[in-house]
Amino acid sequence: MKDTDTMMPPLATGVVTRQIEVNGVRVTYHEAGQSNTSCPPIVMVHGSSGTTRGHFGFLFPMLAVRHRVISVDLANPVTGDDPLELEHLEAQVLAVIANAVPDQEITLLGYSLGAAIAGFTAARHPKIVCNLVLLAGWMKTDMQQLLFNRVWHELRALKSPKLDDFTVYGAFGAPFLSSKTFEDLAGGAAMPLDDFVDKQMELNSRIDIVDLVPDITATTLIIACSYDMMVPVHHSRALFGTIENARYAELASGHAVVFERPAEALRLIDLFAANPQEYPAGATLPVVRP
Amino acid sequence: MTKQQSIHDTSIIIVGAGFGGLGMAMRLKEKGVDDFVILERADDVGGAWRDNTYPGVACDVPSHLYSFSYMPKADWSRVFSPGGEIWSYLRDCAKKPGLVPHIHFGAELLKAEWDEASRRWLVETPQGAWRAQYLITATGVLADAHLPKIPGVQGFTGDAFHSACWDHSISLEGKRVGIVGSGASAIQIVPEVAKTASELVVFQRSAPYIVPRPDRAYSSAEKRSFERLPESMDALRSEIFWMGEYMFAQRRAVPAFVAEARDMALGHLADQISDPELRDNLTPNYVIGCKRVLIANNYYPAFNQDHVTLETSALEKVDGSTAIAVSGKEYDLDVLIFATGFEAPEPPVAHVVYGRGGVKLADQWDQGMQAYDSTAVPNFPNMFMVLGPNTGLGHHSMVYMIEAQADYILGALEHAKKHGVEVLEAKPEAEAEYLLDIEKRSKGTVWLDGGCKFWYRDPRSDRLTVLWPDFAYAFRDENGTFHPEGYSETAASTAAE
Repeated sequence: MKDTDTMMPPLATGVVTRQIEVNGVRVTYHEAGQSNTSCPPIVMVHGSSGTTRGHFGFLFPMLAVRHRVISVDLANPVTGDDPLELEHLEAQVLAVIANAVPDQEITLLGYSLGAAIAGFTAARHPKIVCNLVLLAGWMKTDMQQLLFNRVWHELRALKSPKLDDFTVYGAFGAPFLSSKTFEDLAGGAAMPLDDFVDKQMELNSRIDIVDLVPDITATTLIIACSYDMMVPVHHSRALFGTIENARYAELASGHAVVFERPAEALRLIDLFAANPQEYPAGATLPVVRP
Repeated sequence: MTKQQSIHDTSIIIVGAGFGGLGMAMRLKEKGVDDFVILERADDVGGAWRDNTYPGVACDVPSHLYSFSYMPKADWSRVFSPGGEIWSYLRDCAKKPGLVPHIHFGAELLKAEWDEASRRWLVETPQGAWRAQYLITATGVLADAHLPKIPGVQGFTGDAFHSACWDHSISLEGKRVGIVGSGASAIQIVPEVAKTASELVVFQRSAPYIVPRPDRAYSSAEKRSFERLPESMDALRSEIFWMGEYMFAQRRAVPAFVAEARDMALGHLADQISDPELRDNLTPNYVIGCKRVLIANNYYPAFNQDHVTLETSALEKVDGSTAIAVSGKEYDLDVLIFATGFEAPEPPVAHVVYGRGGVKLADQWDQGMQAYDSTAVPNFPNMFMVLGPNTGLGHHSMVYMIEAQADYILGALEHAKKHGVEVLEAKPEAEAEYLLDIEKRSKGTVWLDGGCKFWYRDPRSDRLTVLWPDFAYAFRDENGTFHPEGYSETAASTAAE
């Protein structure tokens, strides 16, 4: 645990944080919530440049009110110029599952790159992953994403001070940003940067699990974000078409749904985790109209 | 028999013509139900928004959410519209769907009694009596002014009134004014009264947390685009709704969100008050959210004026023209304004409603109010409550809750009609199970663990009886649809005993 973490308030009431070694790398995970519920525990995998605290600061403690929740903090498994692969990150997720909830079926939730990891894992380990939530996920990087990715890498290489602006521009939905000032965005929005983030961004440029996704048998909920510019909705719709046992929901949010509309995402995940079969395969979930 | 003849028969009696009663009636009308009356004690609709006319009155929930989803208004003047505009909106809500002919004004509920033999509710008012199969109470949570018992107040030589019964005949120009309380009403009144009073003292028992109010006027272009593109209003409504729901993580006492909310409130205080002693006196001593979090940009600055004094203790007694605080400090005053809130934990309606076997609701509720699905009470057949027990929100719009309950009650009425049921009564065991669930949800919230005493909890049992201790959406998901399994049913064909 980093020093800065110990200064911060706990992620959730009663949270337990543990570390395990996976292929020589220390991986942190957090556990909270009741273990005596009837539904499977939820295992959460964050997205690029994230951590449990960074991406699931809202979802983790609020899901823990009614579920047992385990969340992985992915760690850099490769050194030097070796490329990062989904297998590396899958190994960390599987190791956490084996440690925290051995011999149990789970609900696996992935956000962004975490959704690619979760889809990859679910396809290859159908006996472990009985329910799957893909939040702003995709299965094959396309040209629109490649263009974003290339500009990101260029700004990063130049150490451009505008990298943060570019990331915020891509991460948040246009309607959300329309009412914000630079002051509102200061502090919270910047993406932490290190070698691992660079490796994740490089991996993002060549995600391709198209051949695996049809193998997913888990009861699946796909959540798309209408104003997502990093993973536009057509990716979620493609997943919806490909995964046989999938249902689909769309939120009026940008890619940063965990900040823009966390409560709306929570509602969908909470209800799905408690009763995955509530809606049949192929269903589009109704949107709450307050 | 003359008394019998003066009884008006109808199917449904709604008590109250505020947001709750009008919201219920609009939905009945929409479903083609016409056989109902609305009994209103005052001479106009509007509930709290009719009664609260104090200077500065406004709502703490943005108007595009604090309005009916089935009656959107494109031309709200501001993000947080003033009280008068909300009242006028409610008048439109009565007129447009044709509710006015159903409303009887000056018809205060004096007594409502379940008559076992006829299986009807008998309701007495100064305007006559009504008899109906169903009784729907929509008497409000913050409807009846609460006045603390202050020794000597009767002998106060100046003028005194409650914030919800503002006496506009009394000019405050150049007067020495005392405001008792520092809650949601007081913080709106103080900056306004400070503009004209020669001296103003605020009696603060406990400091509130106050966060910035992101208010602004809507431009005419915005209003016209809302009108031309109603879906843009829906999108805004959803955005406000989910932003509000985000706040629940703080009430749920998630440490990072408590810290974030506290930092925001204390930062707002520090930005507006530079005097360290005054700032200390305005700093709350409990966990944020335990009491209602208030929003204002003009409250703190009022205290930076020389003629405005913060008294950090309650008003203890009054002697002639002198108001004496618990601290012992004395203030000579011309006007005393009680911004001391409402009878929330025990709604006065409970004292006039009698159920099966003549049981009084207030007696059944002697340890605090409770209801199955927050809507129906055992021993009180065919009675439904809009904004009854455990429907309040510490973080969100009550109109959302009203709409959920209206759907539930419509479901009950439709169920009874479809299945030939004459009497629906909540089962005691269903109510008990519901209360256990409420108790479970309440655990770990700032309302129970935040170190404050507030009207969200009943003083007799210490239970959380006013608030719904979860997300607003969870209330609608769970209590927005009628649950027949929680009711015993009596068929219409069964002969009355």
